[in-house]
Amino acid sequence: MNQIRNFCIIAHVDHGKSTLADRLLEATGTVTVREMQAQLLDSMDIEREKGVTIKASAVRMLYKANDGQTYEMNLIDTPGHVDFGYEVSRALAACEGALLVVDASQGIEAQTLANLYLALDANLHIIPVINKIDLPHAQPDVVAKEIADLLGDDPDSVLRISAKEGIGIQDVLERIVKEVPAPKGDPDAPLQALIFDSHYDAYKGVVAYARLFNGRLTMKTRLRLAATGATFEPIEIGTFTPRMTITGELAAGEVGYIATGFKSVRECRVGDTLLDHNRPAEPLHGYKPAKPMVFAGIYPTVTEDYPALRDALEKLQLNDASLSFVPETSTALGFGFRVGFLGMFHMEIVKERLEREYDMDIVVTAPSVEYEAVLSNGEVIKVDRPSDMPSGDRLVEMREPWMKIQIFTPKEYVGPIMDLVTKRRGETLGMEYLDEQRLVMTYRLPLSEMIVDFYDRLKSVTRGYASLDYSFDSYRAGDLVKMDVLINGDPLDSMALITHRDEAQHKGIALTRKLKEVIPRQMFEVPIQAAIGSKIIARTTVSAMRKDVLAKCYGGDITRKRKLLEKQKEGKKRMKMLGSVEIPQEAFMAMLKLEE
Amino acid sequence: MLPLGLYLHIPFCRSRCSYCDFNTYVGMENLHESYVRALCCEIRAAGQSPHLVHTGAGVPPRAATIFFGGGTPSILQPAQLGEAIHACRETFDLPDDAEITVECNPGTIDLAYLRALQAEGVNRLSFGAQSADPGELRMLGREHGFVDVIAAVKAARTAGFDNVSFDLIFGLPHQSLDSWRRTLNAALPLQPDHISLYALTVEHGTPLHDWVRRGEVPYPDPDAAADMYDLAEEMLGQAGYVHYEISNWCRPGRECAHNLIYWRNEPYLGFGPGAHSSSIRRRWWNIRRPADYIARIERSASVEMGSEDIDERTSRGETMMMGLRLLQEGVSYARFAQRHGVDIREVFGEQLRAGQAKGLLELLPDRARLTPRGRFLSNQVMMSFV
Ligand SMILES: Nc1nc2c(ncn2[C@@H]2O[C@H](COP(=O)(O)OP(=O)(O)OP(=O)(O)O)[C@@H](O)[C@H]2O)c(=O)[nH]1
Ligand code: SF4
Ligand SMILES: [Mg+2]
Repeated sequence: MNQIRNFCIIAHVDHGKSTLADRLLEATGTVTVREMQAQLLDSMDIEREKGVTIKASAVRMLYKANDGQTYEMNLIDTPGHVDFGYEVSRALAACEGALLVVDASQGIEAQTLANLYLALDANLHIIPVINKIDLPHAQPDVVAKEIADLLGDDPDSVLRISAKEGIGIQDVLERIVKEVPAPKGDPDAPLQALIFDSHYDAYKGVVAYARLFNGRLTMKTRLRLAATGATFEPIEIGTFTPRMTITGELAAGEVGYIATGFKSVRECRVGDTLLDHNRPAEPLHGYKPAKPMVFAGIYPTVTEDYPALRDALEKLQLNDASLSFVPETSTALGFGFRVGFLGMFHMEIVKERLEREYDMDIVVTAPSVEYEAVLSNGEVIKVDRPSDMPSGDRLVEMREPWMKIQIFTPKEYVGPIMDLVTKRRGETLGMEYLDEQRLVMTYRLPLSEMIVDFYDRLKSVTRGYASLDYSFDSYRAGDLVKMDVLINGDPLDSMALITHRDEAQHKGIALTRKLKEVIPRQMFEVPIQAAIGSKIIARTTVSAMRKDVLAKCYGGDITRKRKLLEKQKEGKKRMKMLGSVEIPQEAFMAMLKLEE
Repeated sequence: MLPLGLYLHIPFCRSRCSYCDFNTYVGMENLHESYVRALCCEIRAAGQSPHLVHTGAGVPPRAATIFFGGGTPSILQPAQLGEAIHACRETFDLPDDAEITVECNPGTIDLAYLRALQAEGVNRLSFGAQSADPGELRMLGREHGFVDVIAAVKAARTAGFDNVSFDLIFGLPHQSLDSWRRTLNAALPLQPDHISLYALTVEHGTPLHDWVRRGEVPYPDPDAAADMYDLAEEMLGQAGYVHYEISNWCRPGRECAHNLIYWRNEPYLGFGPGAHSSSIRRRWWNIRRPADYIARIERSASVEMGSEDIDERTSRGETMMMGLRLLQEGVSYARFAQRHGVDIREVFGEQLRAGQAKGLLELLPDRARLTPRGRFLSNQVMMSFV
């Protein structure tokens, strides 16, 4: 066990974690140069395409160090995007050390700090690494000082590397060997293994990624999951190299996988502890379950796909432990699911994965945060779907979630950022200089104001230089009202939204105007209204269609004519019906696309 | 087998109109001669086409009409068009009085030209007039003026043509209802036997499309086009024209026999680059570039570029899609049953009722047709059948 090192790589998004992982895989000969491809551990299509890590991945490497000994190095590459902080915290629990990677040209950013604090909370040994020193505008000295100040270290002890050019990689490995403590634990004690992630395999069922703290695990061990009580015998045991490689056993201190054969997440949850059924020990400290921040309806485009969608969501949940969902119905959309996400980026990823990996044709409604409604009987209920907001005398008070946000920015953008945040009801908490050039601005902001393109706006007013971190602050009472959207006189539940009273009018006008743009003309005139209670606050009309004709006969090209009609018909089929009005899918997202 | 419509494509123009996405080319005068030879070759070869041999050896297939379209057929010499007509007559069994149409550019023909056409057996002329407004003609990229149209029609009459048609385009960017009225008022006194009115479509790849995309020209307003269509309906009705197809009006009995073949979903053969043919069960089309076309014909290679097998279900849909364009005739239940071997109400009952409920279809005892409201909204009905 003295020869084992468990560590993860943490950083702000794009600072080069996955690229460093590539170099470590190469330097240890885990992957040959011929097999190598950039960001090898980003194995999902969507990760490769976006160049972003979404899911943590584990890999075992063998490293012959300068001291002549061979070490088993278990690396976990983590995502850097703010939405996936939860994913990082799970990975941390499986490690004794963390490489904190910082981009030499950008310095400390929001998730550098956020993830560093997570690692310190988890009692990990931190090895700071400045990456991308090859960049012409790299400022390794400045960044080294920032980091040293932060960690109370000597700037000279900060490693300087280029993951892309392969500079300084050996030093990283040596430092890990020297500084990251070997895991403690007793291979002969009863088994305790923490499940920190999982994925689904059609043949092997749920594959649990586990870190063994005590005991050992063989193909003969009858296993029990502490929380769910489910028992099973492993179908396969192994490590990631980075392919799944059978070892048939794992022992205390190691990281590997156990194929369980389970077909759903009900039996085998991330955060649970694997125990020996015949020698049960105490369960380990798991994780708090991920708390979804935004909620949206996901519906199949054609109703018959409902069971397929449920299947897809269940499968996806096996690969994405932070996903949660319950069934819901809507007037225009029929049967679907209310899905909880960690943030907007997470929502986008889930939507894309459903479409691409599960081939689903879906409609996603505008997202909402989770409100609290205090009722006259003193009860407090959660409302994550605006159309469910109670009304009248029954409702005493509405509360909404506020976030604490930190914006890291070069100082010249302070003005525009303040503008942006105040427009969105933000409250200033503080401002602190990181160095002469950059500062951190801290605010409290309603989450509902953040989910409507806040991040994009922030990037645009700071020309991409600002970074953002957020965490839940508190629920606070607000003068919130429900705004209904009526189309041709019928309320469209999936489009209802909860808004601050002062903004209702403005939002109503913008929303009805946007809907007028996206709802195609129908055979009759269609009024679109926004209402609070029985009071109409905005209205527009989509006038009746008068022309829809193929004029010219192209010398017998009947095929072309038919294809045009077929295409039009196809488009019509994808429309959702509210009464007799056809509503295109993008209308359900209109709320996100309003003019400022 | 029903008699065929013969379409002969002339893929040449003197200049390119701004809205045009037809398969036509400018500046290929050097190809005219070899093109006519190739065209005649293709026509003669069609007598042996495997898709048409229903007639038995030695018996030529029957044909009903010839239509020279383009491009600009009148860019060729009458004798050249005559050669092609001759090839058709040799290959097909064509009645002496068969309708033979030539599309003409009103700016480039004179009395002598038309007389010569007449002598070659042409009996119907179609002029691309488009508009009486000089500004609109300029925007469309037309090189002629409306005076040329007046002169052309007069010459046609003098030459003895009793079947003259012309095309107008409406729903143009910037066009007002008044300007459209002026165009109609200029056109009607010429007493054409047939008028085609096309709502402008902004097609991809045309200069007009670029202008609209760059915001230099406004996208044509569909409501304005609808108003213009209504106005035309009223004015042409008063002038005694029958509105027999969505975009076509005629004096009683002067329907375009060639186009009726398309609308009735009957067989036709297209010759020349990009031309389409249909033998009911199969549709095929030719390669598009004239030079390739000529080269292949010279090598006795096939000029077919693509084809589509039309299954029974598709064919029924097409019968509806095309047939409903005929506003008076519509789709006859009897003809549908004869053609497809099923009762229309059995296969399309639901769609017919839905169209009726929306006020777009009229279900008569013997046929279905579009209502006046359905005419300019016809896609909304036709879509349900394909
Ligand atoms: N010039 C230079 N570019 C680098 C270096 N390391 C990484 N990059 C580039 O930085 C970008 C991001 O690299 P990744 O390795 O995907 O970063 P990451 O931290 O894993 O990103 P997330 O997983 O999305 O948080 C890629 O375009 C890399 O090629 C380096 O040392 N020098
Ligand atoms: S004359 Fe006709 S075919 Fe030729 S470019 Fe103009 S519109 Fe097109
Ligand atoms: Mg990465």
